[in-house]
Amino acid sequence: MKHKYDIIVVGGGHAGAEASLAAARLGNKTLLITLDKNGISRMSCNPAIGGLAKGHLVAEIDALGGEMGKLIDKTGLQFKILNKSKGRAVWSPRAQADKIQYSKTMSETVTSQNNLDVLEDMAIKINVANHVISSIDTEKNGTISCKSLILTCGTFLNGKMFIGDNVYEGGRWGERKSYGLTESLNNHGIESGRLKTGTPPRIHKDSINFSEMTPQHGDPDPKPFSFQTTNFAPPNIPCYITKTNPETHKIIYNVLDISPLFTGAIVGSGPRYCPSIELKLIRFKEKHSHLLFVEPEWLNSNQYYINGYPTSIPLDAQLKSIRTVPGLKNAEFIQAGYAIEYDYFPSRQLYRTLETKNIQNLYLAGQINGTSGYEEAAALGLIAGINASQKINKKEPFILERSESYIGVLIDDLITKNPTEPYRMFTSRAEYRLLLRFDNADRRLSTKGYNLGLLPKQAYEKVVIKNQVINKTINHIRSTFYSPDKINDILINKQENPVKSGVSLDKIIKRQNIHFSDIINILPNNLISEINQSASIKEQIDIDIKYEGYIKRNLDLIESVKNHEHYKIPKNIQFSDIQTITHEAREKLDLIKPETLGQASRISGVSPADITSLMIYLKRK
Amino acid sequence: MSYINSTIIALSTPPGFGAIAVIRLSGAESISIVKQIIPGNFVFIPNKATFTQVFDNKNHIDDIVLTYFKSPNSYTSEDIVEISCHGSPYIVEKIISLCTKRGASIAQPGEFTKRAFLNSKIDLSQAEGVNSLIHAKTKAAHSSARNLLDGKTGAILKDIKSQLIDAITLLELELDFSEEEIEFTSTKTITNKLNNINALIRPLLLNYYFGKMLKDGVKTGIIGAPNSGKSSLMNAFLQDERVIVSSEPGTTRDSIEESFKRGGIQFRLIDTAGLRTTNNVIENMGIDRSKQTIKHADLLLLLIDSTKPIEAFDKYILNPDKKIIIILNKMDICESKVINTLKQHFNKYNTIVISAKNHTNIHNLADLMVKTVKSGSPNFDEIFITHQRHFDALIKTEKNIDIAIESACNNNPSEFVVTDLRIALNHLDEILGKTTNDDILNNIFQNFCIGK
Repeated sequence: MKHKYDIIVVGGGHAGAEASLAAARLGNKTLLITLDKNGISRMSCNPAIGGLAKGHLVAEIDALGGEMGKLIDKTGLQFKILNKSKGRAVWSPRAQADKIQYSKTMSETVTSQNNLDVLEDMAIKINVANHVISSIDTEKNGTISCKSLILTCGTFLNGKMFIGDNVYEGGRWGERKSYGLTESLNNHGIESGRLKTGTPPRIHKDSINFSEMTPQHGDPDPKPFSFQTTNFAPPNIPCYITKTNPETHKIIYNVLDISPLFTGAIVGSGPRYCPSIELKLIRFKEKHSHLLFVEPEWLNSNQYYINGYPTSIPLDAQLKSIRTVPGLKNAEFIQAGYAIEYDYFPSRQLYRTLETKNIQNLYLAGQINGTSGYEEAAALGLIAGINASQKINKKEPFILERSESYIGVLIDDLITKNPTEPYRMFTSRAEYRLLLRFDNADRRLSTKGYNLGLLPKQAYEKVVIKNQVINKTINHIRSTFYSPDKINDILINKQENPVKSGVSLDKIIKRQNIHFSDIINILPNNLISEINQSASIKEQIDIDIKYEGYIKRNLDLIESVKNHEHYKIPKNIQFSDIQTITHEAREKLDLIKPETLGQASRISGVSPADITSLMIYLKRK
Repeated sequence: MSYINSTIIALSTPPGFGAIAVIRLSGAESISIVKQIIPGNFVFIPNKATFTQVFDNKNHIDDIVLTYFKSPNSYTSEDIVEISCHGSPYIVEKIISLCTKRGASIAQPGEFTKRAFLNSKIDLSQAEGVNSLIHAKTKAAHSSARNLLDGKTGAILKDIKSQLIDAITLLELELDFSEEEIEFTSTKTITNKLNNINALIRPLLLNYYFGKMLKDGVKTGIIGAPNSGKSSLMNAFLQDERVIVSSEPGTTRDSIEESFKRGGIQFRLIDTAGLRTTNNVIENMGIDRSKQTIKHADLLLLLIDSTKPIEAFDKYILNPDKKIIIILNKMDICESKVINTLKQHFNKYNTIVISAKNHTNIHNLADLMVKTVKSGSPNFDEIFITHQRHFDALIKTEKNIDIAIESACNNNPSEFVVTDLRIALNHLDEILGKTTNDDILNNIFQNFCIGK
């Protein structure tokens, strides 16, 4: 360890790992400060990566040269594509993870990374000179100076855990909390708030009767997250499904008055999409049973995670209620469920680079931005790492648009919506969902990853070739006429109306029941062999042609708002001076300080008329 | 650099009847849109007023004078096309709708001026004026929108919106929460819901037509065999001799428009050439136009010469939905027995017996016209869509819901169906204010048990 770094990252979770790796790989002398060197990318909650919309984020991280996708491919226990009965745009991968291997592998990656030092310590104060970050004070190692600082403290800032009426200080079960930083940021004008989340009990394997539950395996033909993964042959370890019953619910009802969510002990708001079991019972009284997923935490794990049962009711009630569930009658806890409350910094205080508006060269990423989820955190960490590096190396800010990525949606939502409950990604948040597919993340973003210097050349070249084959094939399909005798056999076989004269194949693929893979064999042989080189090419061609109309509508929409998105608002503007804008809009604009007209237009309470007035005002200046 | 991509259209002269009306288009697509409704050989020469015609496919709509202002030498600095047409609300509405069907959108209040400003056509000293003008216009639009939303129409619109959000919610739920223990909605339920929404929208659209009809006048086509007394009836209404009345069949060769007011409703009378087969070319042209009149009329007055044998008129009653009054004319020279037989023959219709020549029973006829127009337009006192922008937004809402229904029936994946519904919702938002993704998610969290 030295006492001077280009970039310091505080926090070794999913955000911190991606941030420090990106910073170091971009050539900056980087220091990662963590409370536990062996706990890099430790999964605090569910043992899984991906899921609906989150899988998209992982693929985007991967295309930009991040770590998460490659890592879960190496350490997953079972892999599944979700939403397979729906259209391609909402297919998303999910994997059960081996928590131990995942964290261990990430620790190895981080410690073996050039330019990256890891220090076990606690950062307790930031030092700022002339609105620019200058150094950080640590508990044991004194002051360490830096050009840029990235904070990724997760749930550790003044973390407080609850089980019944017991309150414990700490950032995760068995780990100490971090103190000082929140107050230090507050002193420099950055506001903070409290959020809450919860986790279910972990149960001893030997106390579970698996024969009373339904096993649930991954897909028989697993697909990797990373487009760079080859020779993919992961295990397929089952999870188990069981469910609660009225007896379970009765026990929980009986202790609500001494549960911290209802006694007022917890003040932070929790995620509505992931409510505790006690809240679920209250909000949906008519449901007499809830599904529970019993998931292994690592390979040959002695510990199972009860997905669907996050709770902070008293310990004896947790145990008593869980023992009413089929398969769990003799359950023994390794760890009780608990709620955790922590500090976060409302995300409107950030630029799209994740730099704070108040203090230059200070970046915030991960759960302290008000998000939840490993994937959201990793995405933010990566972007913060990239931008911290871009800025001190005097390069252009790295900003992803809503129209090109879920990461762009994530960051834009954080700033313009300034969420007050933990934010999780959903596909419905992306207005250009049809374009932002899991399967085309590499095509969307790998050029950017490569140009930044994060994605290796070899990986990038794979995508370049893939794009060439896709474009070549689509051109062929659109411009070559095939005679009826070549096509009609296929059509008749599929019980489709035959054609009378020659057609180009796009007309055929646009039919509801025909897919590109049905007609691929009538293409020229050299083209077929090129297509077969990459697994996902066929699907991409199919989607690009079949849904051309919809895709074009999405593209037109992007075009129609492009000018707003690129219309920059000067940083020093006083919105309260603009008399022609409604009071409500002025207040909102002053609070959030949007960077572009596009951002301004997405703030609630700002109408199209306000945007016009704003545009006119800006033009006069 | 232009910050706006769409091409806008608006009537720039005051609405209502006038000698001429000027319709203005501004935007990059102005020429390509107008090209589609005028003869193909038209050459756009900047700053030159040129005579030409507007066509709806092959139907001649009006003779116009067209002036083209080439970007950047125009008021807005964009390509502008100005169409000077005859000052009839019907013609104006027709031309505007031909253009909107081809991609133009109805201009927002003050939008031409706004564009002029943003494209640096107006200097800074004028900026404040521009701003307050836009603000005033926007304010006026807002307050009229607020008035709209306070009443019964508002309640219906809000109901439409909440039902649309519910439908979107059901589909999004399926896309974002398919791993949850939730029962998903069948295609049939979704399409039923969507059909219900359009069933709420359609009366509003009809009502707009009705409201517009009251404002712009009821297009009243007077039809009948040659010499059945159409021109006499017209004169009876108007109390003058504008139309040459002669006893030689086929004197009236043009459709002539006049109007009078009764019971608060403006009736625009269109006298037509008699409907009969003829070899006279000029007269045939008149007859063609009469058929057009029948097609576009809001109300038809079918004149029967009671002294003549009944001809096969039924074929002229083209559309059974069209409001029609059967007028048994020439009561002054006809036996009451004959008239009773005729009445019996037309007993399915509103009938009235008059003498156009002697002006007998004309007032009763006018009252019957008012009654007929008002009948079958339920609640028209309460429900009103009066703004063309609102109407435009509702039409687009309805259209996109229809596309979504078709898409769902074709078993397209939900995310495509929902794309169309979100476009529909965006259009509805133009009237009711914006809906955000969070509104949809909130709806999900409120109504469904999420969280595994």
